[in-house]
Amino acid sequence: MEIKLKSLKNRIIKELDEVKDAKFVADLKTKYLGRKGELATILKGLKDLTIEEKPRIGQLANEVKKELVVLFDRAEKLWHGQADEGVDFDPTLPGNRKDKGHLNPSTIVQYEIEDAFSKMGFTVYDGPQLESDYYNFTALNIPEDHPARDTQDTFWVEGKNLLRTHTSNLQIRMLEKHGAPFRGIFPGRVFRYEATDASHDHTFYQLEGLMIDKDINIGNLIATMKTLLSSVFQTDVDVRLRPGFFPFVEPGFEMDIKCLICDGDGCSVCKQSGWLELMPCGMVHPKVLEATGVDPKEYSGFAFGLGLTRMTMMKYRIDDIRLLQSGDLRFLNQF
Amino acid sequence: MYLSVNWIKDWVKLPKDLTPKQLANDLTMSTVEVEEVIDQADSLKGIVVGKIKEITKHPKADRLQVCSVSLGDREEQIVCGGVNLTTGMLVAVATIGSRVRWHGEGDWVTLEQVKIRGVQSVGMIAAASEIGLTNLFPVKSEKDILDLSKFNLKVGENLASALGLDDFIIDIDNKSINHRPDLWGQYGLAREIAAIYRTKLKDYVVSNISLKDEVKLKVSVRDKEKCFRYLGLVIKNIKIQASPWWLQTRLQAVGIRPINNIVDVTNFVMYELGQPMHAFDAKQVDKNQIEIKTAKKGEKFISLDGTKRKLSEDYLMIADSKKYIALAGIMGGQNSEINSDTTDIILESANFKAANVRRTSTALGLRSESSTRFEKSLDPELAEQAIKKASELILEISKESYVASKLIDVNNNPFETINLKVEEKLINDRFGVDVPQKDIQDILTRLQFEVKYKAGIFDIKVPSFRATKDISIPEDIVEEVARIYGYDNIQAILPKVSIQSPIIDVALKASRDIRYWLSQAHSYSEVYTYPFTNIAWAEKLGFDTKDFIKVTNSFTPELQYLNLSLLPNLLTKAEENLRFFDQINIFELDRVFDKSANSIYAVSHGKKKYLPLQDKYLTGVSVVNLSAQEAFLQTKGLLENLQDYLGIDWTLEATELSYSKLAYVIKHQDVVLGHYGLLNKELLDSGTKSVQTTWWEFNFSVLVKYLNRNKVYQSISKFPSIIRDVAILIDEDVQWTDLSVEIYKLSNIIVSVEPFDVFMGKGVPAGQKSLAFHVELRSPEKTLESEDADVLVKEITGVLKKKFKAVQR
Repeated sequence: MEIKLKSLKNRIIKELDEVKDAKFVADLKTKYLGRKGELATILKGLKDLTIEEKPRIGQLANEVKKELVVLFDRAEKLWHGQADEGVDFDPTLPGNRKDKGHLNPSTIVQYEIEDAFSKMGFTVYDGPQLESDYYNFTALNIPEDHPARDTQDTFWVEGKNLLRTHTSNLQIRMLEKHGAPFRGIFPGRVFRYEATDASHDHTFYQLEGLMIDKDINIGNLIATMKTLLSSVFQTDVDVRLRPGFFPFVEPGFEMDIKCLICDGDGCSVCKQSGWLELMPCGMVHPKVLEATGVDPKEYSGFAFGLGLTRMTMMKYRIDDIRLLQSGDLRFLNQF
Repeated sequence: MYLSVNWIKDWVKLPKDLTPKQLANDLTMSTVEVEEVIDQADSLKGIVVGKIKEITKHPKADRLQVCSVSLGDREEQIVCGGVNLTTGMLVAVATIGSRVRWHGEGDWVTLEQVKIRGVQSVGMIAAASEIGLTNLFPVKSEKDILDLSKFNLKVGENLASALGLDDFIIDIDNKSINHRPDLWGQYGLAREIAAIYRTKLKDYVVSNISLKDEVKLKVSVRDKEKCFRYLGLVIKNIKIQASPWWLQTRLQAVGIRPINNIVDVTNFVMYELGQPMHAFDAKQVDKNQIEIKTAKKGEKFISLDGTKRKLSEDYLMIADSKKYIALAGIMGGQNSEINSDTTDIILESANFKAANVRRTSTALGLRSESSTRFEKSLDPELAEQAIKKASELILEISKESYVASKLIDVNNNPFETINLKVEEKLINDRFGVDVPQKDIQDILTRLQFEVKYKAGIFDIKVPSFRATKDISIPEDIVEEVARIYGYDNIQAILPKVSIQSPIIDVALKASRDIRYWLSQAHSYSEVYTYPFTNIAWAEKLGFDTKDFIKVTNSFTPELQYLNLSLLPNLLTKAEENLRFFDQINIFELDRVFDKSANSIYAVSHGKKKYLPLQDKYLTGVSVVNLSAQEAFLQTKGLLENLQDYLGIDWTLEATELSYSKLAYVIKHQDVVLGHYGLLNKELLDSGTKSVQTTWWEFNFSVLVKYLNRNKVYQSISKFPSIIRDVAILIDEDVQWTDLSVEIYKLSNIIVSVEPFDVFMGKGVPAGQKSLAFHVELRSPEKTLESEDADVLVKEITGVLKKKFKAVQR
């Protein structure tokens, strides 16, 4: 029996060497290791062995069986799938893509900017789009009959309310709610009742920011914006301030960014000036702080308004603002 | 607002080598925003003064003449059709390469040498309209060329410099001087420029005019709240004629068309000082009596533009003893307008309340140069300077004229002198760097503030022209100093504040996640639509416009109603895209506006009145080229995936909607989260395409309250499962839900029951369907034997037979 086992093992090893495909392995396995296979037949002889022989031969039989199982496993793995050998298709055909949707480019840019601000401790806040005169104008130091109201043509709605003309309404709402110190941004949709063309739409997006703390100064505003904008544009940017008038800041500025296309040398994008107008900003007006219950003697701060729609257009070189809200998939599918 | 560089040189000596472009840049950095710099001479480049030497008839054309024209250093032959040509006439010659507009119409073209009907013409003898000078030289006849003989001009000289039209104009963005009443005149701008370049500013000089008491002018201000100051005087013996050339070119430079000497003088003063003025024909003003009072509702008035205007009780009017003669601060009346026969005038220089002028001009839809200035809150002191200056000029221009009355001055100036105490520390704190005290004082003094400094405090008297609303608090002084000192001198230093990590808002985080999930994991594209509803679609969906919040000042139908649902606009977008795509999956996440409920947002601090509800909605539309069943189940599948993603426990309840043949309410317990359904096919115009449309919408603001992103791990079963397939024939009306419920009831080892084939038609008896499903079985306690499965499958077929008369296949 010992001989039988060893010769079976050798035979199997030899035959497995000659195997050409998976089926042959399977056939061999049935032939030798199957329920009615040769190994089983041999093992039936165990019962006829003497008590002395049984443990030794039994152990041997087990070892052989184990070895054979390993050998067959290896052979099966080696030959599995072998029947599909050869490439009978054109691998240069385009891959089978899964249908994918697209985000509005404005959303993409908004989230990128939010992330940059978030890293500097600015919280993102959201608020009403249909707003009261008080929060959109009066509390922002734009009383009735103020000419600044002219520059923001307003959609008035029933109930003497309006569609907010800027995200600045949240300066008031958030300061009222959270008080000072404060660090937040307010991205969102705003509305101006204007005729539309390739560069004007009555509905567009802004991202307003507000930082209130002790001893905040103009130099802090410049440094913060420079850092943030460098993060947004993924490159070191230069900024400059010049006077700008907005009733809810004093002093008020326009912040320009050194043209990223020509690096300030002058090109068609910056109209040869080397600078691009980027955002209005300024030191928060004491009246605004007072209106929200923050003591202007103790706290100061800055506010700024990024044109989110304009940033999106700049980033993707979109030449018609109306595309952003056209819902046209030929446009959206590019993002 | 135009700044004329030549004009401001009357008072400021500009630094040598300062280019107009640099001046514009410096103004931008310190004071106002410049839109562009216009080189006045640019459009007249290559146009020179010529003298006609000889005129002969064109050999081939009756209406043309051939002129020999001297250009100083040479003579050229030019063909011309002008009917007023004479030998010796001084003319404007457009030389080859200059730009002209043929017959004063169309685009500017560059002049080339041509043969006109066989005769060489080197250049062109221009009409005023052909070189853009109709403002200065009104055209009498189209066939007239411009006759310059009345000027003493050097032949061959550049026309621009010969006529004094070589100014540089700086176009200032009006928005950037909204808050600066003092910058609406050239002198105010000169003051700024002098401060920027630290150079001397000449005083604005007005000489004292000699007055008579021949005419008694009476001015009664009935409404002192609206008229702060009114100055008037009568000038007699005026001859209305064209203004002298210097005055015309000044007006031309700032974009004003010269009209006659009186109107021109009032315009000149307005552009020089920023103070609007008006001149009435004295003969049309009854009894030389002027009254300033408010109108009565329903009265009418014809303004000098010829428009009949309806008046309202708040409108401030200028009247004589019988009638209205002007809309105060906005426009004069036709009845007292200066005309060519006017000999006596009443000159008005006044100050009206800004808010009232603004309100009236807005209500009338009538904006004028005058109202634009008054609504900025002008300094009442200006009115006096202006009337003296204007009188001086009129007397100088119209030699025979004289002031026949006293100078009447009704002064109710409400503005008080503003004195500010500003800590030096405040300026330096806001600035971030220390500005030398000497510089602060110097800058403020140049801007004509009176400054005293003592122990860290500046005691500042604000000049009257900055004290009407512009400068009122110490922070305003910070700005004055900072902008002139130069923002470039500020050091950028990051704020010293404590580290603070931002608060993550659950709803905003969820909206970001869902946007990515829908667009990147599923094939939905994010659409932005306007907040204004497409009414046609809203009506198709059964909305009633009276439930919408209405825009009160818009009359375009597309901009009239605020979205109550995002669905109408999304369906509009889907329909539009169908022209280019066969399959459309779009979604939007934004607010809708519902007046039937209140939001959490108060209308003002502490008030118990709230804005309308403006919850965010998440809405999607899918248009596919599939069967109704496939389309519906695809969307249902998306929502099931979404449910897993959000971890919200929700149920579906069938409902009825007029526009959807199949519709469900999505509920969390009793709270409605949203709806979805299969749109009635006929509602969507798909052209020749056969499509099915499904839609879904969630009240996102409500949905996010039930988010459950806290998943807890369930241990993986130690025992394998067995999957059995069962095929049955069953009545076609039996719904899967009913059937699967019965199966699940049988045993807790049934892990899932999933259909994989539903078939009706060939081989299946009528009224029945063939249904095949997988049953997955697993015991939490042991490895199931094949026999266990056999038993359960038998039970399943048994119960299906009993309850639904199903037959196993």
